[in-house]
Amino acid sequence: MPDWQKLVGQRLSDLALDAAEKEEVHAELAAHLEDFYESLRTKGLSEQAAIQQTLAQVVNWWDLRRKILIAKKGRDFMKKRLHQLWIPGFLTFILSTVFLMTLLGFQPRIVGDGPNAILFCAPWLESLLFVGALGAYLSSRAGGSRGAALFASVFPVLALTTAFLLMFPIDLIVERAIGNHVDFSIVAIAILREGIGWILVPGGALLVGGLLVQFLLSRRLTSRSVAGS
Amino acid sequence: MIGPGIKRGTAELAVLSVLEEGPLHGYELARRIEQQTKGALRFTLAALYPMLYRMEQRRWIRGTWETGSNGRRRRCYRLTAEGKKKLSPIRQEWAELFRALRRLTKVSHA
Repeated sequence: MPDWQKLVGQRLSDLALDAAEKEEVHAELAAHLEDFYESLRTKGLSEQAAIQQTLAQVVNWWDLRRKILIAKKGRDFMKKRLHQLWIPGFLTFILSTVFLMTLLGFQPRIVGDGPNAILFCAPWLESLLFVGALGAYLSSRAGGSRGAALFASVFPVLALTTAFLLMFPIDLIVERAIGNHVDFSIVAIAILREGIGWILVPGGALLVGGLLVQFLLSRRLTSRSVAGS
Repeated sequence: MIGPGIKRGTAELAVLSVLEEGPLHGYELARRIEQQTKGALRFTLAALYPMLYRMEQRRWIRGTWETGSNGRRRRCYRLTAEGKKKLSPIRQEWAELFRALRRLTKVSHA
């Protein structure tokens, strides 16, 4: 018999509920699948057919996750998440990309080696302070938590990190496939250099902008509460 | 076979009506509804649990973990006082709708 608990746990691993509540949902749905599967087996279905019919109870796990979230937290929760997280996050991403494209003159350009790589992007890094601050401000204004505001600030580098993580292995596979020799020490240095230039330093700039806004907002709130008391 | 639109509207009434007879866990609830409606209403897991959780949020039903005679833990749902109160007007609404449809059908057949 399949491990239904494990299956549900895997399919609904990113259900945005607190740990205990998520565990409960996993256990309950797994129990339902287990009962359903056993009833089919009792009716004489083969193991394979019973598994298939049981799995057909959920056609779209992503949709189920969304419906459970809406049912448990309400439609407003999804709306809030959109306004506190995704809209500010994508806005920072778009703005940082537009600034970068503007600085590079909309032409694909190889950014110089060594320290020049970072130096070249100095105006972009400065703009990222503003972009990070804007992301945090918009998220906070929509009622986002400190975590949500910081997520919105650094969202562009999260997207870049994902791109990097995908790009390097694909590049290695392509190089191998076309028969080029791959020097891993060069690759490691490239990852380090590009990682610092395109992820760590820009991430730091975005984070500083975000933290600055958080600091200013918290000061404003403190002074308001002092004035109100 | 009843279409999905009508099913959505009747689903809550079905759940509340079956739970009125006594507490049940999700799988048993789905099985009982299917049996009592002779297969006209069927709930997959994906359709049932979001609805149960929504009804629980509205405090119409309450779920608690219980250990059955076979030693298995299952989350059993029972109707709350609020759910009982809600059942009566929902039943009335549906009865009215069916009466209206019956009248309409008679008229169109006349």
